[in-house]
Amino acid sequence: MSTTLFRTIQPNQFTLLGTALFRRRRRSNFSVRCCGTQTTTTHEAKQPSQSRIAPKNHGSNKLDEILRDYEAVIGIETHVQLSTFTKAFCSCPNNYGSHPNTSICPVCMGLPGALPVLNSKVVEFGVRLGLALNCDLSLKSKFDRKQYFYPDLPKGYQISQFDIPIASGGYVDVDIPLEFGGGHRRFGITRVHMEEDAGKLLHSDTGDYSQVDLNRAGVPLLEIVSEPDMRSGIEAAEYASEMQRIVRYLGVSNGNMQEGSLRCDVNISIRPIGQAEFGTKVEIKNLNAFSAISRAIDFEISRQALLYNQGQADQIVSETRLWEEGAQKSVTMRKKEGLADYRYFPEPDLPEVILTQDYVDSIRSSLPELPEAKRRRYEAMGLGMQDVLFLANDVSVAEFFDAVIGKGAEVKLAANWIMSDIAAYLKNEDLSINDVKLTPQELAELIAAIKDGTISGKIGKQILFELLAKGGTVQGMIKAKDLVQITDPAEIEKMVLKVVSENPKQLEQYRNGRTKLEGYFAGQVMKMSKGKANPGLLNKILLEKLNAKD
Amino acid sequence: MATRALLAVISSSPNRCFISTRRIKNQASSAFSTSPSLHFQIQSRKTHRIAPSFSSDTNSSALQPPDVSRLAETARISLTPAEIEECGPKIRQVIDWFGQLQKVDVNSVEPAIRAEMEGGNLREDAPETFENRDGIRDSIPSFEGTYLKVPKVLNKE
Repeated sequence: MSTTLFRTIQPNQFTLLGTALFRRRRRSNFSVRCCGTQTTTTHEAKQPSQSRIAPKNHGSNKLDEILRDYEAVIGIETHVQLSTFTKAFCSCPNNYGSHPNTSICPVCMGLPGALPVLNSKVVEFGVRLGLALNCDLSLKSKFDRKQYFYPDLPKGYQISQFDIPIASGGYVDVDIPLEFGGGHRRFGITRVHMEEDAGKLLHSDTGDYSQVDLNRAGVPLLEIVSEPDMRSGIEAAEYASEMQRIVRYLGVSNGNMQEGSLRCDVNISIRPIGQAEFGTKVEIKNLNAFSAISRAIDFEISRQALLYNQGQADQIVSETRLWEEGAQKSVTMRKKEGLADYRYFPEPDLPEVILTQDYVDSIRSSLPELPEAKRRRYEAMGLGMQDVLFLANDVSVAEFFDAVIGKGAEVKLAANWIMSDIAAYLKNEDLSINDVKLTPQELAELIAAIKDGTISGKIGKQILFELLAKGGTVQGMIKAKDLVQITDPAEIEKMVLKVVSENPKQLEQYRNGRTKLEGYFAGQVMKMSKGKANPGLLNKILLEKLNAKD
Repeated sequence: MATRALLAVISSSPNRCFISTRRIKNQASSAFSTSPSLHFQIQSRKTHRIAPSFSSDTNSSALQPPDVSRLAETARISLTPAEIEECGPKIRQVIDWFGQLQKVDVNSVEPAIRAEMEGGNLREDAPETFENRDGIRDSIPSFEGTYLKVPKVLNKE
């Protein structure tokens, strides 16, 4: 579960430069973490595991000042590997992790005479994603050949869409997490086009050769090109994670960055504030985590700003840089000399892609509720932004939450249980919410049982963990284990009197002013009741007895 | 089939006398700083607008002679000076033929993005394993173990 909230932006190990930058960008509003006042559960799960406070560093003020004068312009190209059963233009299975070079045929190997035939799912997924990104669809689009020579490209060209992509001119809405300043942003989507992936190259560390696995050659991709609308690493990372959410909500891709199913290339330039023209653009590759996107961009912004400031702007050259996660810096991969000449021309082996309005409409009506709509709906239910972002982040969690409140559970309570104890359990056990035995129905029952006083919150937690691990029903468990909360004052009073009489020493200390000992007595009574005593009643009766003059 | 072969030849010509002419102009004129996204938009709009007027403003005399050496380089083909000498006029002939085509007045014709082909021939997303995979692998001269072995490459182009 790679949720935005679990995602931690780690300032450690960052260079001097980056550290300063992070301090500047992190105008955090920490007060928002203490949300929920009537919670029965805790919120550790939401706390970032790493400190967000960067170490003190004296060179930073100057950099802060320099950065104030510049604005970054960031655009992102996202490649989404589609979760189809077959490749884009042949029937070879599309399986990640197959034995190398087994999912191949004359078409994807580019053998003479083999002809491509487009997979209908690729078109469907293209339309789904295009609609989800609020794009205009081209009812007629076509494929083109993009030609270059590389060992991972058996045909010597990639089948892609050049001048008429399947979708263009859309936008995406994101909510910036509160700890990064909050706010709602809209980023333009230039285009979405269909294309095929290349094979995978493995470089040997020792030998002077590389190895090629062509299982991935011909696997379908959708490339999403954003407008250069982002201004910071955080905005770019949020854009990328919204892309991941959207493709997962739509079911067009697993969106897994580690496996390379979601790959982001970032284009970034900076310019003095007020200047209309863009600065020299640098591309950053090898970003396989959202935190890497954010940090690589912030690193690049400060690198370029310093060069500008030192009168060395001419050293910002058009190039591709590689992000090194270990060193937390980017290095030159290759300089670009003029635009690459791909000699595009229309793919003669494929007909144009024709969509009918009926087809588009039928897909539009089958779209699920998308992350943005879900967030707005949760917000309208009265949930805080922290809760909204957490719940809507993972489509399975959101569906679980929707099912729980569909069973009548109180919204805020349901959110709290899912975000704290359940999330912590999932994280510890490395499970997804779909893996647990707890059903939405039973969580709703549990919440109701606590609310109507049948069981205490403490017992509720115990039951929860049993349900998560073993399944079963709340009612069954309450009956089998005799867990019904004790709300009879007489019964509680009996236990209180017993505890007080068994601890004369503590009673004396209490009456001599050590009132903190009330907690000790409460604990003893709770223990005696096996956690079933109603805490409110217990405290009330206990105080009466402790303070009684007898 | 003949058209396809021609397309291939022409597209690799430095003149881009077919549809590419406009694109190259756009590429050259757009500042490097422009994002690829903006770039694409401008292009796609232009392509639509320009398509019908191909014939009116281009003629064969405006086409540059082919730079055969460069062509050979982009196609990763080694040619002797004699072969370069021999190829030049042949490629020139093809380009001139397109020059003739471009003289045709198509102002009244709806632009076609692709040649007429039977549409609706999409494939079901049902996997099928190609039987003779061994045959393919055996024909790869540098197949070692489970991988193709190639000279070490780290950077594109």
